[in-house]
Amino acid sequence: MNVFLAILTYFSYIFIVAAYGAKIVKYLRLPTHLRWELYPVIHEEKYQYGGSYYEHLDWWTRVRTKNHARGIAYLLKEYFILGDYLKNYASYWLALYPWHIGFILIITFHILCFFGALAMVLGVNVSAGSPDASGSVLYYAILLTGVISFVTGAIGSAGLFIKRMLDRNLRVYASLLTFFIYIFTLVVFVSGFYSWYFVDPDLAEYREFWVGLITLHFIHVEPATAAHIVLFDLFLIYLPFTRSLHYVTRFFVFFLIRWDDEPNVRGSELEKRLLDLFDQKTTWSAPHIHTGKKWSEQ
Amino acid sequence: MKIEDISKKTGQLVRIEPEDLMPLPYPYDDPANDPVMKEVTQDQKDRYEASLDGILAIGIPKPASREEEERLVRQFLSGLEKLLSQENNWTFLQPLLHSLDYCVKCQICNDSCPAYIASGKKEIYRPTYRPEILRRIINKYIKKRGGLLSRLTGSDIELNWTLVARLAELAYRCTICRKCAQVCPLGVDNGLISHEIRKIFSQEMGIAPRELHEMGTVQQLKAGSSTGITPKALGNIVEFMEEELEEKTGKKIKIPVDKEGADILLIHNAGEFLSWPENTEAFAIIFDAAGISWTLASDLVGYDAVNYGVWYDDIQLARIAVKHAEIARKLKVKKINVGECGHAHKAMIVVADRVLTGELNVPRESAIPILADLVLRDRIRLDPGRNDFPVTLHDPCNMVRLMGIVEPQRQILRKICLQFREMEPRGVDNYCCGGGSGFAIMQSMNFPDWRSAVSGRIKLKQVLDAFRDVISPDIRKYVCAPCSNCKGQFRDLFNYYNVNEKCGIFYGGLVELVVNAMVDVEKPFIDWEWH
Repeated sequence: MNVFLAILTYFSYIFIVAAYGAKIVKYLRLPTHLRWELYPVIHEEKYQYGGSYYEHLDWWTRVRTKNHARGIAYLLKEYFILGDYLKNYASYWLALYPWHIGFILIITFHILCFFGALAMVLGVNVSAGSPDASGSVLYYAILLTGVISFVTGAIGSAGLFIKRMLDRNLRVYASLLTFFIYIFTLVVFVSGFYSWYFVDPDLAEYREFWVGLITLHFIHVEPATAAHIVLFDLFLIYLPFTRSLHYVTRFFVFFLIRWDDEPNVRGSELEKRLLDLFDQKTTWSAPHIHTGKKWSEQ
Repeated sequence: MKIEDISKKTGQLVRIEPEDLMPLPYPYDDPANDPVMKEVTQDQKDRYEASLDGILAIGIPKPASREEEERLVRQFLSGLEKLLSQENNWTFLQPLLHSLDYCVKCQICNDSCPAYIASGKKEIYRPTYRPEILRRIINKYIKKRGGLLSRLTGSDIELNWTLVARLAELAYRCTICRKCAQVCPLGVDNGLISHEIRKIFSQEMGIAPRELHEMGTVQQLKAGSSTGITPKALGNIVEFMEEELEEKTGKKIKIPVDKEGADILLIHNAGEFLSWPENTEAFAIIFDAAGISWTLASDLVGYDAVNYGVWYDDIQLARIAVKHAEIARKLKVKKINVGECGHAHKAMIVVADRVLTGELNVPRESAIPILADLVLRDRIRLDPGRNDFPVTLHDPCNMVRLMGIVEPQRQILRKICLQFREMEPRGVDNYCCGGGSGFAIMQSMNFPDWRSAVSGRIKLKQVLDAFRDVISPDIRKYVCAPCSNCKGQFRDLFNYYNVNEKCGIFYGGLVELVVNAMVDVEKPFIDWEWH
């Protein structure tokens, strides 16, 4: 069992990184597209009311500045607040928000577990009464992120299940799989809560398990803890098959599509990429199209 | 209604009843007085595919045989495969794939769709409905996911001719105003999916509304303009406009045509020449008064800024954009200015920016900033007292939400109109006039009734709300719509509801208001004649 848990954990982490990585690379390799931005474009000088550089006479003669930090700040804020949902669909936000916070914190919790374990391997005492400040900070950080994630995640999962069931607007396009995801995440979060509350109130066993993963000395854990580990690992393996990558692609889609107002300039790198694309042959076959000819020959 | 019902041969899928429609404010607050939408005739039903909602935008002839139906379904699938391939759809593949893969169906976009809301929330107009159908077809017939997985993911659907024909019509129930995309926190763009579905039908199957394709882009490339105006006819129109200018201003104003080396090549939507020549005349008066070096072009395509390709066909879009740029090069102008036409702004300046390379990459800009410059820097003498009547501004989606030209037109109106008031929501949050993505020019069978009663309904409400304190027909009011297609939609919308007579509301462009305020033009330029 010890070895099985360890192998499953290694596999799940490698799998999610590889699967997400492959999807991201595939997406980023897609060709340059025609412009299709939507205003407000956040890096623009006049973003507050949605203005663009096209408001200026002879816009191409002006030096353009882009505030990318504003875009990043906007997206990060959205990650943690989900403000668009709060503004436009508050009743959905009430369930969605704890669910998302549950995800963010459970991932943070596992990252902290890794660093906590690493600190322990390096000789730091990770506990509430640790003489080492970093040890007690890690202890409380792990405990708080873990417990809050279990609670908010469970509330969010149950809340979304109920909301999707009761709100016709949401139910109409929901599938069995949609409800399965809510139940699955509910089980993951509840198992974590159960393990913490009844078996491992300091999460010491969990940290020890991680120490074992780092040192390759796999330890035995209580069945409740083992159940949570297995469920969380399965959750990680399952994630790449869901739309969860929107956590990452959202960044790309905002910067590469919605806010992509980069004008094409003669002799630019962008123009070179476009010329390569014009060289491709198209096989659209409506009567008005020269099927088999290049885009540039249309 | 279930999503998979779209494949069922059960007659008309949805019926729009007057009592379902979104209520309107006074004097349209009694639904019993709502005009009745025309129904398609039995003969039309027999000949065309009208089983979606009883409205005919394209009017696809019914296939003669089952074999023909099967061939068309195969063609549709072939087009869908091409839509998902890099070489055939590099133009929009990245945004398309994102929108297909990452919609979580939270329905946050629903309330931003003018057609969905105004129709009383008919399921087929829900912004997520079309994309979901496309997604299911892709999962089952392209990715070959079937059986249990298909049932678990709720992605079962039967692809048949009924579905394909309904989907073609359905792609023309979205104005591609992209307000739904604007509110999506994940960046999903359901308007783009309507655009991409239209491309399958046009680029693979040769199916598109006649007004957009045969009478639109094809005619423009062949005869010079989607209006049918030839270069020779343009010459006559220019002569006529010069005569009118003399009558209206008492001055001889020359409209330059093909003036080599001019600073500006001004390209109007050619619809202006026929329906609203006062708009093109107003430009001539302003540019003449300001001493600007400008010209019109008389080459094929060069006098018509429209580019309907932006709504349904990337290849037609590119062909027209290249023509515009070639003419500008030939005339050796410094830049192209696009007149008051929203989609031409978006097509020529933004979307075609990645079509025009090298020498064809001629500087292109909107005419609005130069007008703002002339007005705000007092390069023409203006008296706002001449525009002492209520004015509100409509924001054309293509120019505002999709391009970010928001303030210059407002700066002008604040300076020249004493009673300017905004409609709500406004700016980048505006609602479409209901005539976007080609609807304004589509006159097929009973489609004009639909775009007045349904897609234009929210805009009518906005206009009535903006003027609610002065709604009496005795007070003349002006909706400023700096876009030809929006004006076309306002004309039809106001006719449908008899708005001019009942409320005294008139519509027109921006430059007409500028000239109306010009001190050097003795007579009022706006004649308040309904047309």
